[in-house]
Amino acid sequence: MIYFDNGATSFPKPAQVGTAIMAALAAPASPGRSGHAPAMAAGRTIHRARKALAKLFGLKENGRICFGPNITWALNLALMGLSLEKGQHVLSGSLEHNSTARPLAKLKAEKGLDWEIVPARQGQLWAEDFAKLIRPETKLVVLNHASNVSGALAPARAIKKAIGQVPLLLDTAQTAGSVDLDEAGSWVDLLAFTGHKGLLGPTGTGGLWVGPNINLRPCLVGGSGSRSESLEHPDFLPDALEAGTANTHGLAGLAAGVEYILQVGRESIRAHELSLTQDFLKEIIKIDELTLLGPGPGQSERVATVSINLKGWSSSDLAGALERDYGILTRAGLHCAPLSHQALGTFPGGSVRFSFGPFNKPEEIKIGVKALKSLARQKG
Amino acid sequence: MPALGGAEIILIFPSNTDILNAEDLLEEKGLPFILVPVPKEVNPNCGLAISLAENDHDLILPVLEAAGLRPSAAYRRQGDDFSCLHLDH
Repeated sequence: MIYFDNGATSFPKPAQVGTAIMAALAAPASPGRSGHAPAMAAGRTIHRARKALAKLFGLKENGRICFGPNITWALNLALMGLSLEKGQHVLSGSLEHNSTARPLAKLKAEKGLDWEIVPARQGQLWAEDFAKLIRPETKLVVLNHASNVSGALAPARAIKKAIGQVPLLLDTAQTAGSVDLDEAGSWVDLLAFTGHKGLLGPTGTGGLWVGPNINLRPCLVGGSGSRSESLEHPDFLPDALEAGTANTHGLAGLAAGVEYILQVGRESIRAHELSLTQDFLKEIIKIDELTLLGPGPGQSERVATVSINLKGWSSSDLAGALERDYGILTRAGLHCAPLSHQALGTFPGGSVRFSFGPFNKPEEIKIGVKALKSLARQKG
Repeated sequence: MPALGGAEIILIFPSNTDILNAEDLLEEKGLPFILVPVPKEVNPNCGLAISLAENDHDLILPVLEAAGLRPSAAYRRQGDDFSCLHLDH
């Protein structure tokens, strides 16, 4: 099997991730509740995940990182927690995933939010296009840091500079763990992350870093292990946004995943993934029957995600043939991102997505290229 | 670590995350403390507190506050007797 579906979830995980999860499962503890030694250790395990993420994102404090089940939870919390109202204006890019597009559509339908989409040009988003659409009533800019379809990397720092004081909500589903998010606190206001992709942790983990100038209304209230005497949920972070028992087992794995990245070096993971991507692009671009969505060879403003179509093949048939004939796992269709496919002109048929990760090897890329060349000839 | 039989100072923080950051900081600085369950005699919280020997309190509290870790309450404990301490912030 050759796994080229890291955009869906990373595989394999570093060995220490599994070890950490098993150790957490073996401990008789609920974090932040009881005061016995295993419970304290469970609390420290979650704290390790907070510290590792704060280091990776270059954040000065770890207490504003709030954990939840996934990045969809985090993005919903940010969008719903801001209490956006009728007449208020929100901008988003046109390469958004449904995890932001659906909450924004819901807010538009139910609250009368004025949601405006900044179109992509040549498959990319441009900071000046955001700046032109900012109005006094603009309350938020929502940005998918990298397209989960084309791999195009948005110029997030330039966009923040262009929008000034308007808060930026950054969806890092496809970038955290490889792309530079250093000193995020100085150019992001709300940073949503998933644990199971580039951060190399297990599914069921994700979170939201909340900037010091942002006040979110919790969507859930309940047990927090703090201020137990009160019927009012705590208003301080992270407790305010972490009602209920945390996923200690999953967060133990996430801590190990992020610590692995810190040990190996985010920059070296990024360089490896870009190198594989460039090797792939340089070869597949020679296939006449192939249409590439997004940045081509030599363009570094991208992540290790490549979407293509082959003449004569539907995306689902092509992904099926890649798996059946070559054991190559990819993802076909719309990738939960109909807006992106509309922007890229591939709606509703979608594309086949190859997404590479830190454990892919150059030999696997060569097999992928060979497979595409052979399949192109079958219907060319 | 509080001296056996001596008075101790119990520092309570808003969140468990503050406590764990305080633990990291004091360990890094080599300052003596222990983590204890919040004493139910003075506070109904489920979480943890930092316990210091009374003699170390004046040394350790400024270190915590310099790192932005401000206790929400502090108590002097002598055996079963607790008295609330005033915090300047």
